[in-house]
Amino acid sequence: MKKIIFPLIATIPFVIGGCATDAHYVQTGDKEQIVSVGQINIQDYANAANAAVNDLLQSGAIDKVSNPPAVLFVSRIVNSTGQQIETDLLTQKITKALLDSGKAVITTTDPAAKGYQQENQFMNDQQNTRLPDFTLSGKIIETIDRAGDTSRHTYTFQLSLNDTKTGYQVWEGDKEIGKQGTRPAVGF
Amino acid sequence: MKKRILLPIVFAAGLAALSGCTTVNSVENADKEGQRNMVADTRAITDASLNRKVNIVGVNTSMTPGGLLKVQVELLNRTRSLQQFLYHFEWFDANGMQVNNVLSASIPDQIEGQEDKFISGIAPNPNCKDFRVKFIEAN
Repeated sequence: MKKIIFPLIATIPFVIGGCATDAHYVQTGDKEQIVSVGQINIQDYANAANAAVNDLLQSGAIDKVSNPPAVLFVSRIVNSTGQQIETDLLTQKITKALLDSGKAVITTTDPAAKGYQQENQFMNDQQNTRLPDFTLSGKIIETIDRAGDTSRHTYTFQLSLNDTKTGYQVWEGDKEIGKQGTRPAVGF
Repeated sequence: MKKRILLPIVFAAGLAALSGCTTVNSVENADKEGQRNMVADTRAITDASLNRKVNIVGVNTSMTPGGLLKVQVELLNRTRSLQQFLYHFEWFDANGMQVNNVLSASIPDQIEGQEDKFISGIAPNPNCKDFRVKFIEAN
């Protein structure tokens, strides 16, 4: 009997070790994505950016310029959530998608590029700088609903495209991402 | 004695099973004004379970005002319960080369029991002529 039990006991550490999850690479938005109820996950930015770009391109608002492609300036994205977030995670995906589409060019915020642009204009005696045709602004809002131990956090990504010549909003888009979960009976 | 114990248990189990099933009724105009440009599609079904739950009914395409290819896929949930899934679009140019898309992350979505719904995607640039849509069953 001991000849059977002891070898079985000896294999237990190897079985437990084999079941442990090793570190591995994951893709954004794959099946293993972690969904956090109380914060915006990386796949949420991708989801919101995807919805915004699809809606903007379908509307054709950015095509309505006399001299395409349109020049776009990324303005303020206001954070109305209860957490610190990096809005570039949203805006960079949108601007990259618009650049790839050929529908828009983005005004740079790089001080070195701006400095060289001014120097070029001075050296070449250029006086007219093409101003942005549109600005992109928005807001990220978090609303929380609770019922007992269940809480639902809804993140609303609001974006608008504003015509700099007329001062009108020519496109608006919003994407709501809701997450719901229950708190454990013990703990936080 | 056995019946007194079994019947309530069976009744309670039946109630529990039914409460998890929510299906969708819908109404629409019978004489459609819009004409969908349906495309012939090729399907590679490796997950028969997902195919039963989130079945692809058809695919149609159109062009946006800006000259971008738009693809719409009609899905049907053949089960009576909510199903969650992930999908993402891949785009190809006229030479069949895949076009990199910064927005290519899988998008989570869900479909109610017996619901018929549409998902859509817009090509990242005017050079995209073909597409592929991938579906993955969510955990």
